[in-house]
Amino acid sequence: MDKEVAIIAYAQLPYEADNNMSREVMVLKATRAAIEAAGLKREDLDTVITANNDYNDGRTISNMRLVEPAGSWHKNESKVEMDGTFGVLYALTRILSGDHDIALVVGESQASVYGGILPGIMMLDPTFDRQRWLLNEVSAAALQASAYMAAAGVSAEQIAAVAAKNLDNAALNPFALRSLKGADAKKVLASRPLYSPITELMTAPRCDGACAVVMASAKAAAKVEKPVWIKGVGFSHDSYVTERSLDSMGSLKLAADACYRQAGIEDPASQIDLAEVHECFAHEELMAYEALGFCEPLQGGVFFDSGATRLDGKLPVNASGGALGANAEYATGLARIIEAAMQIRGDAGRHQVKGVKTAVAHGQTGICAQENIVYVLGGE
Amino acid sequence: MAKNEVAVVGVGLSKHVSKRRDVNIAELVWEAVSACYEDAGLKPKDVDAFATGNMPAFEGVNLPEEWGAGHWGAYNKPLLRITTGGTTGGSVAHGGYYLVGSGLFDTVMCIAFEKQSDGNSTMGLNTVALADAAAQLQLGVDPGFIASFGGGAVGVAVYQASSYMKSSGCTTHHLDKVSALCRNNAALNPYSHLKQPGLTPEEVAKTTLLQYPIRFGHVCPATDGACAMLFTTGEKARKLTDKPAYVLSCASASDEAALVGISGSGTTNVDPCEQESCKIAAARAYEIAGIKDPRNEIDLAEPYSPFAHQLLMFYERLLLCDEGEAPSILDSGSMNLDGELPVCPSGGVISTNAIGASAMERVAECALQIMGKCGERQVKKDVHKAVAHGWGGAVNLNVVAVLSDTPRR
Amino acid sequence: MGAKAAKDPVPRASIPLNPVFNWSVGNWMEVFYDGLREGKIMGSKCPACGRVSLPPRMICERCFVKAEEWVELPSTATVQACTTASVKVAENGDLVDLDAPEIIAMVKHDGADTCIAARLEGKEAAVGTKVEAVIDTGAENVLDLLASYKAVG
Repeated sequence: MDKEVAIIAYAQLPYEADNNMSREVMVLKATRAAIEAAGLKREDLDTVITANNDYNDGRTISNMRLVEPAGSWHKNESKVEMDGTFGVLYALTRILSGDHDIALVVGESQASVYGGILPGIMMLDPTFDRQRWLLNEVSAAALQASAYMAAAGVSAEQIAAVAAKNLDNAALNPFALRSLKGADAKKVLASRPLYSPITELMTAPRCDGACAVVMASAKAAAKVEKPVWIKGVGFSHDSYVTERSLDSMGSLKLAADACYRQAGIEDPASQIDLAEVHECFAHEELMAYEALGFCEPLQGGVFFDSGATRLDGKLPVNASGGALGANAEYATGLARIIEAAMQIRGDAGRHQVKGVKTAVAHGQTGICAQENIVYVLGGE
Repeated sequence: MAKNEVAVVGVGLSKHVSKRRDVNIAELVWEAVSACYEDAGLKPKDVDAFATGNMPAFEGVNLPEEWGAGHWGAYNKPLLRITTGGTTGGSVAHGGYYLVGSGLFDTVMCIAFEKQSDGNSTMGLNTVALADAAAQLQLGVDPGFIASFGGGAVGVAVYQASSYMKSSGCTTHHLDKVSALCRNNAALNPYSHLKQPGLTPEEVAKTTLLQYPIRFGHVCPATDGACAMLFTTGEKARKLTDKPAYVLSCASASDEAALVGISGSGTTNVDPCEQESCKIAAARAYEIAGIKDPRNEIDLAEPYSPFAHQLLMFYERLLLCDEGEAPSILDSGSMNLDGELPVCPSGGVISTNAIGASAMERVAECALQIMGKCGERQVKKDVHKAVAHGWGGAVNLNVVAVLSDTPRR
Repeated sequence: MGAKAAKDPVPRASIPLNPVFNWSVGNWMEVFYDGLREGKIMGSKCPACGRVSLPPRMICERCFVKAEEWVELPSTATVQACTTASVKVAENGDLVDLDAPEIIAMVKHDGADTCIAARLEGKEAAVGTKVEAVIDTGAENVLDLLASYKAVG
């Protein structure tokens, strides 16, 4: 895609364990801030896509009460029940189809509203796993980590070091919920053990939060300062958690390959300046390095040890702290797009990386990253 | 103007009944999906992306495609989940239109379903309103007042029906006639749930009164069923079939959320029969489709009508006549299978309601009628343009699609 | 909750929901549960590619054909992944500490191509360990028939 659809504005609210707002007020704040940042009025929007989940929100048809706060009154409204990164995909197709010029995408959830990891358990096969109470998002991710460690020879210390890197980066991100300046692997390993090798600090902390992006067609983006262009997108579904090999992220690789083809990326490790990945657990970032083609298969640990993905490395990953810094589900991946766009615009503040021209943003939904989506974003 | 012309080349439906205990959710959906592949003469390898949705609270399964999509041919394929309550199926079909129209994907499988017998309808329906009811209690609204709007969708429907009757002159006899029309059409549709051949308005009038003006005979059943549709580019469609159904446009619009007649902010009274958003969505869809005079250009309509009065109300809100005219148009026989503008030839939602699938089945029926694949219920006139509608949310979401036998110019 | 939050809290209502669902397992899973009752482990086989699913699936996701062949699988399996659980999920969705750690594993039966998530007996396990199924044919609940796995020998 060559300058067909741009991200022209965005907004995030600070991520909090309990932001003491109604869901509607939270969405209104994110929506207003994004529309204002775009220099637009609500009336200028053609279509609005919300990304949220009935179970996380604790209500059936979770979008129906968001009509007013998301600015979608009398607009072409719809809802993607996946991470906000998939909402961006839907908005993108709506703009590319020619029927719409300006789209708003909002992702939101409030972990303070509905019980912990129950929505994830409800994704399991109801005829078997769901009723056995062994698998949940964390235990399944631990099994994924176990399979990956055995295949790639990665250690728990290396996984902990990834968490330490992201939590240290998060200390520079004013929106982050969890951060640990100067964190090291030891501290991460010493946190509460959950399912080995996963300890509390290796998990993305569920929290309250919303974020929004405004997207525009080339025509509508013509007068916008610093548009961030969507150069490529790819996404893919993976098999159910017990029916696929857990030692690699197959669908993320398919998504990345499709995205790179579209964006004309042949050597991601050298052509990509920065990546924001949606790592629900620290080990998933190592697996993502491989699937995104930043290193060879099974070399994620080695690549991390080289320091390449640190804030001062040649391909910084999760300069924002990533999902380990804050995880308002259904907004978490969308925040990766926003963070990548901020880096391209040079608006990332204290965690700004110099000279970012081309960036990757990744989002996921489902147990052990079953659905994956990848974007390549670029500036002028 | 969409980059790609968009066309429907296949439709598949599962059996629609009250209870399917012999299959699980994924297997039930497979029946519709495999029928759709067969109808189009395509295989999963020919599909570039999937769009799917249902109303997850009914079955108690979150993102059911995570476990089930392997049964539908989505192995290692892009998949987008779109869910919007009652309009879900329509919204998924719209997803197919945009995914193909964007030029990013050529062929898209759209899947919508509900297996209500697996579910807990209290959970499914009450959580639509529970959070709102709780919030209103907190704000000091009288519990008796809130309870008076209860009973899930039926509670809302009676207020909507009586308001519509007051403004249009529709009588209870018209409601009885709508039920008889739909259930007789359903009897000719192998995929409908409630088939009542020969049902008369007089018989409907004798069914139990639930809450004035709505009788048992005016209400949809709860159905297990699934619907699948294959969307592709105009170019590919013409190679696959002599008679594709083109999707000229899709549009949606949303009103204030007003489940119990009071808007979300608690400051506005909303007449549930106004349905301003339906008129807006219809006008938008006709404009994109290049339709200037829907009353004369539309040959067939599938309004979303789980309750009898809604067939007439939405016929008006879809701008197919003046407001208040629909009851007399019904009386004229124009809405019959052999009429000038047949309405709900499928039997409509009032005969079959697998909730998540229902709004897609409206689009599917329009496509099938255009393609001439409706067998006994094929309408008499040639169908060049048809309008499909979906309704849901807190009485506030409307989706409209316009289909045609010729591509958009 | 911070001081600012406590000053002007948003109204809250806690609504307990305890729905009961009646999921049909379908004919394929019924063969599986009926087999376990007799101490047999039944997998479904794709006639096109030969892939064996355990638990069984009606459709082979790779070939999109009905997996209509049945195979009785040996009770032996290999650990593909394992984790030591220090916590479990409480009813409200919180992770609460276990009194004693438990082992959960993905095991692949000999002759099968998909995995079962199961509890392992004992205190230690490693990827590659050979295990065998412990079937409790007398279990009241069909979900408890495939009780656990234990190391072979």
